[in-house]
Amino acid sequence: MSLVACGNSDSSPDTASSGDTGTETGGEASGDQITLRMAWWGSQARHDGTVAVIELYESQNPNVDIQYEFFDFDGYFTKLNTLVASDSVWDVFQLGGNYPAYINNIHMLNEFIEDGTIDTSNTTQQFLDTTNADGDQVGISLGVNSYGIAYDPQMFADAGVEEPADNWTWGDFEAAAKQINAELGIFGSSIMDDFLAGASIGVGPDYNFFDADDQTKLGFDDPSLLVDYIRMRKELVDLGAFPDPGAAAEVTDIEGDFIVSGEAAMTWIATNQFPTLVDAAGRELKLASVPRRDHDDPFGLTLNSSQMFSIPTNSEHKEEAAKFINFFLNDEEANEILKGERGVPIMSTAREAIEASATDAMVEVLNYIDYVGSNANPELNNIENPNTAEITSQYELLLDQVIYDEITPEEAAQQIYEFAKNIIE
Amino acid sequence: MNKKKIKTFFYHAFLISFGFIMIYPVLWMITGSLRNNAEILSGNMSLIPENWRWENFANGWRGFGGVGFGTFFKNSFVITTVSTIGTVVSSACVAYAFSRIRFFGRNVLFVAMLLTMMLPGQVILIPQYIIYNQLGLVGTRIPLVLPHFFGQAFFIYQMMQFMVSIPRDLDESAYMDGCNKYTIFSKIIFPLLKPSIITTIIIQFYWKWDDFMGPLIYLNKPESYTVSIALKLFADAGSTTDYGAMFAMSTLSLIPVFLIFLFFNKYLIDGISTTGLKG
Amino acid sequence: MQFIENEEQEKKGFRWKMQQFLDKESVAGYVFSAPFIIGFLGFTLIPMAFSMYYSLTDYDMINAPTFVGMDNYTRLFTDARFLKSIRVTLVYVGISVPVKLIFALFIAYLLTRKVKGDTLYRSLFYVPSLIGGSIAVALVWKELFARLGLINALLNTIGLESINWFGAQDKAMIPLILSSAWQFGSAMIIFAAGLKEIPNTYYEAALIDGANKAQMFFKITLPLLSPIILFNLIMQTISAFMAFTQAFVITGGGPNDATNFYALYVYNHAFNFYNMGYASAMSWIMLLIIAFITFMILKFSKYWIFEEK
Repeated sequence: MSLVACGNSDSSPDTASSGDTGTETGGEASGDQITLRMAWWGSQARHDGTVAVIELYESQNPNVDIQYEFFDFDGYFTKLNTLVASDSVWDVFQLGGNYPAYINNIHMLNEFIEDGTIDTSNTTQQFLDTTNADGDQVGISLGVNSYGIAYDPQMFADAGVEEPADNWTWGDFEAAAKQINAELGIFGSSIMDDFLAGASIGVGPDYNFFDADDQTKLGFDDPSLLVDYIRMRKELVDLGAFPDPGAAAEVTDIEGDFIVSGEAAMTWIATNQFPTLVDAAGRELKLASVPRRDHDDPFGLTLNSSQMFSIPTNSEHKEEAAKFINFFLNDEEANEILKGERGVPIMSTAREAIEASATDAMVEVLNYIDYVGSNANPELNNIENPNTAEITSQYELLLDQVIYDEITPEEAAQQIYEFAKNIIE
Repeated sequence: MNKKKIKTFFYHAFLISFGFIMIYPVLWMITGSLRNNAEILSGNMSLIPENWRWENFANGWRGFGGVGFGTFFKNSFVITTVSTIGTVVSSACVAYAFSRIRFFGRNVLFVAMLLTMMLPGQVILIPQYIIYNQLGLVGTRIPLVLPHFFGQAFFIYQMMQFMVSIPRDLDESAYMDGCNKYTIFSKIIFPLLKPSIITTIIIQFYWKWDDFMGPLIYLNKPESYTVSIALKLFADAGSTTDYGAMFAMSTLSLIPVFLIFLFFNKYLIDGISTTGLKG
Repeated sequence: MQFIENEEQEKKGFRWKMQQFLDKESVAGYVFSAPFIIGFLGFTLIPMAFSMYYSLTDYDMINAPTFVGMDNYTRLFTDARFLKSIRVTLVYVGISVPVKLIFALFIAYLLTRKVKGDTLYRSLFYVPSLIGGSIAVALVWKELFARLGLINALLNTIGLESINWFGAQDKAMIPLILSSAWQFGSAMIIFAAGLKEIPNTYYEAALIDGANKAQMFFKITLPLLSPIILFNLIMQTISAFMAFTQAFVITGGGPNDATNFYALYVYNHAFNFYNMGYASAMSWIMLLIIAFITFMILKFSKYWIFEEK
């Protein structure tokens, strides 16, 4: 049963399912020349991989010509915003957690899943939910990720600190950072995503920072919930256990992170970046979950979609775009090319394809994602509010001011609470 | 005699040391093109690469998704050269009008010209894009090149200031010889603007060469990308950055703009007839 | 014959009239400035009008703009970050522009005479401007001023302590100012061209009259160069107000907004926070400020500009 177009082994019995090659489903108007436009952001490795997959698809679907563009992150969004303003967004475009801002321009994919154009039989509802807003499937995730703390087990051992337990707390984190700093003279931890750690996740497992149902409201009303993280951050900087703003400015990307250079024992990481981090560090690193407030608090993380492909409302080739997305997600050869660089694939077939050649770091990520997936707290809101960027910027500014002794942690908490409340209304 | 020698010595010593300080960051970047990420980020400031990693050039040159730097360089060349020519010709015309001809509305236009330079590009980016989109010109090189044929405020103003030092007596005697405004421009003013034109060429060339906002917005096929966009594509905060390849290609990108400078700089140093106050 | 002569005269008449018409000041003025007028009306005025309109709206670029009147402008005056960014930008302009111009003029002047190696020297001083705006160099600059970077290493060798450049609010701007000053090359080239324009005869005459170098510089060079100085002053001032890339790549506006140049703040609001309306209003306020300062410079220029009669 060697399907000519597939070109790889038939180990998975799912290759007979519909839609993934485009040459065997009936009823489509083959021979109609269609041009799809698509774009994504990333860097050299991703560009090369994605283009290879595009060419693979074109070779299997000669009537489709895909015009693609690619940019770095900032360039991509500058261009996307320009295209949105002129109603001419690419037929297939990449979005991350900031999709709520673009929600009115996205054509929901529910119909394509229902009619089988996009085959979701190899994934779970949980994974689909990472890109589902109120029942609308805004896109299909190209890779899920979550957040964690990457740490160097050897440094922990050298400093006499126990490795993080599954349910470790911010208190444990603080103590570990201080002890590592005292014993080894380096930063306990490298930079964190402060807003996510201190506000979004840090506001506690019982609350969401942004209300899960109403985008114009906050999900909590006690600013003092934000104080502890801010206070901890300041203390750690004062002790030299955490980079001050000057040192933090030196870290522009993963390769420059302090854990890579050996100047820190921990760092915040998005899981899809973990393999890169380990590669750059050149030594064994492990993943621990993000700390919680108290040891018996429920788990504080969910799965997020790292990136997804969406179809814009202005597209004139929505069906063909959906077919391409389906190929991108499900085709095994495609996934072997992509190697899960965008995150852990949501299709089990794709995961199996990369597991075969996964590095230790990738295995760590896969295990971690499974762990998060099975423990995820369903009450948590993993949808980004359209005003997140502005609020994050203000939060980081206030954090700087606390560090420079211009305001107290309590004042900062109060101010960010007011600011966020006013902005989202 | 000795005093002069000492003076010359200090003159050169100063220029060499100051020059070296100036050029040091560039040299470091060039050296970086022969290093890998770890060596670059280690904070090592020496100018001698530890390992001569020539493969950075090969890695960088192959570009992205099958489009290599050969294509990017060609694209940049075409766009930059055409734009530069457009700027020189149109800006000279407009500068002549503003500085040598009194006509109704001249001051208003001059003020408008200055104002165009004071608004940051980002806020008119989107409206301009919409206009070009309506005209169906997005995806072509026209939006990048066309504005240069309508004068560039910076160079118009620069040429105006240079025209100040071309004596009006020349205009008057030319008039008496039977020239009109147009021939005065073509036969007298334009040739005497040489130093200004040369600086315009040098500066406009490298500004256009480095410009990436325009190409980013208006070009939509990787085969048509310019070097300026391509260099940015190496670095992405969310995934790996190949600094060595990026520095290698940045070094190569430096060569054309530098050669333009060298070529035209000759004219700035060699004697250019400064006033033409010949009979 | 008479008939033909008249015809020729008529033809000549028409052509001659046409030429006279074209040669009129007003007409020639418009003909020559036509490129600018067309370009301005077509490519600039309409977008400017758009952006003025946006400034009166709440516009996130994704949904249609909603009119809010002067709200954006009133909000600006209570926006602490905006006020700080104006202050920060003014400080940057006030320091970097003079520094840059002084270097540019000094080096251009040093290199006017034909000496051995002047092409080499010119190149050394010019190359930084060629790549100054690029990402690669911005990253290099970041490394230079890092805590373990070269600058601190040099400070240590002369016995001074390392400075946490990007961590100190009062010092974070210095690397950016130096980066700007470092790129004085294009101003230098313009000065060099201007210096070339000054006829040697003036200097020769002065020498005969017994003038020394300093006198020649102040009494001949500077005055004759004054239109160029004015030009560079205005251009560098305007472009310093627009400073963006360096702050964007090197400091990101920090620490604590100490280097939050207004162009960076505009960009953030326009493209990251989806507040295009607010960003537009900000740009127009800054345009007023820049225009005011520019026209002040122009107004006072008549006191020190020398125009050849």
